[in-house]
Amino acid sequence: MKPGMLKTYLRVIKLAFIFTIKQAMTDAFVIFGIFVQPLIIAIMALFVLGEQGDEIAIFIVVGSGLTGLWDSVLFQSGSSITQERWTGTLEALVGMPTPLGVIVFGKNLAFVTQALGSMIASYTLASIIFGYPLSVESPMLFIISVILTVLSLVCLGLVLATLFVLNPDVQRWQNGLEFPVFILAGFLFPIAILPQWTTPLSYILAPYWAAVALHLSSSAKPGILEISTPWAMMALLGVIYLFLAFWLFKKMLFKARVEATLSGQ
Amino acid sequence: MSKVIANIRLFFQGALLSYIALFHWLRPSQYIATKVIGPLAQILFFTLMGKFGTSGESADFYIIGNAIQITALSGIYGVTFSLSGDRWNGTLPYLFGTPANRMTMFLGRAMIHIVDGIFGVLIGFAWGVTLLGLDLSNTDPLALLLVIAVTTFSTSGLGLMLGSLSLVTRNVMFINNTAYFVLLVLSGSNIAINRLPSALQTVSNALPLTRGITSARAIIDGATFQDVRPAMLEEIGIGMIYIVCGYVLFRWIEVLAKRRGTLEVI
Repeated sequence: MKPGMLKTYLRVIKLAFIFTIKQAMTDAFVIFGIFVQPLIIAIMALFVLGEQGDEIAIFIVVGSGLTGLWDSVLFQSGSSITQERWTGTLEALVGMPTPLGVIVFGKNLAFVTQALGSMIASYTLASIIFGYPLSVESPMLFIISVILTVLSLVCLGLVLATLFVLNPDVQRWQNGLEFPVFILAGFLFPIAILPQWTTPLSYILAPYWAAVALHLSSSAKPGILEISTPWAMMALLGVIYLFLAFWLFKKMLFKARVEATLSGQ
Repeated sequence: MSKVIANIRLFFQGALLSYIALFHWLRPSQYIATKVIGPLAQILFFTLMGKFGTSGESADFYIIGNAIQITALSGIYGVTFSLSGDRWNGTLPYLFGTPANRMTMFLGRAMIHIVDGIFGVLIGFAWGVTLLGLDLSNTDPLALLLVIAVTTFSTSGLGLMLGSLSLVTRNVMFINNTAYFVLLVLSGSNIAINRLPSALQTVSNALPLTRGITSARAIIDGATFQDVRPAMLEEIGIGMIYIVCGYVLFRWIEVLAKRRGTLEVI
């Protein structure tokens, strides 16, 4: 890559990010996914888990916020290319000199970043309406965990976006993938209560490591060694997802150009 | 007489065609993902959360609550999309241009979803028994089936009302999703009604599902249908109220949309 290209790509990512944020904030489906659903899940979790004491509240805030993040990755990032196809803008994006992956990266970054709003909404609910005393035990570690969470989930979103376009049969499973990841990633209960054979499935999911890092840094004061495991796993999985997405993008664009199916529904 | 036969034909044809058009599938993979795996995951999620929160003693509470709540997938999403689909696919003006009986047309949209909803709940209970050890040894199966049928009917009533709203709003998914999740909180599927603030208990009592879930828990606990009959009559009444409100709205929207020429505005 030429040195000037990186600057160009960063500019494209920034513009795609801004444009997507503006567009998404007028979409009621997005508002529901980011604010309403995580809040409702937080309310239920506060009723179901609240008897365990005040210290569970921050666990619930983070866990219900993560459900919003995952919904954003699954439904918005996952449909980020399909959506362009529906609106008839995919051909123009593919025809541009900037790689499609760079644009989709910017879009997904916007989706995941704005989904962090679900954590703020849950925090406000638990703190103001339910009156729980809330504090993040290790703020610096929490911020680093949030950044790594966003990046790894953006990479996962790139894989889903291409996978859903390449195989519409997989996209039909989109609705069915929402709650299984809530369970496998241990957003609102530890995965230790699941059967042991599910543990490897949790380990290959970035949302699981995100939950570990965020719960650990918000509810406790972990040592740097303790928290570096989920951080390293998020970084590793992010890189793997990125390579996988790169390969899938190439496959998708080749297939679309050879079969002329870019605008096919 | 021929008019009655024509209306019956319209009812069943409308029911079947709207169902097929809605899913444009009858593709097994999409049905399995939406109606089999999705509900299983929902039951598992709330049951596991309940077990984690209460040391496992009340797993049945969550299994039964969420198994019955699955009927809202068909009753809310299915029925609403059957109505709103006509608007999105541009067939609404043709529909409103026909002299067909509106009540038959309106009610027909819910019919197959009621059958499908009952089937969905049975799948939910099958998951509960096979994977989570739900004990149905004290249960009168016929009574449980009746409770499921009545609850599915009343939930579809709410779906018909929301479906009418979808003829004037673009945000049908927002309405559906909110209704579905509000039912999750207020119907007693995951939070016992008596733990809710009193204002919310009043809302809960005006919703479909609430009595159905309570009755299903009682039946599984060994009660007879006679014991839950008053609750079931109320559940039917609530369903009827939603249907009437939905139909009035449907007709009003038709008149308004024709007058303003906004039938296809999306």
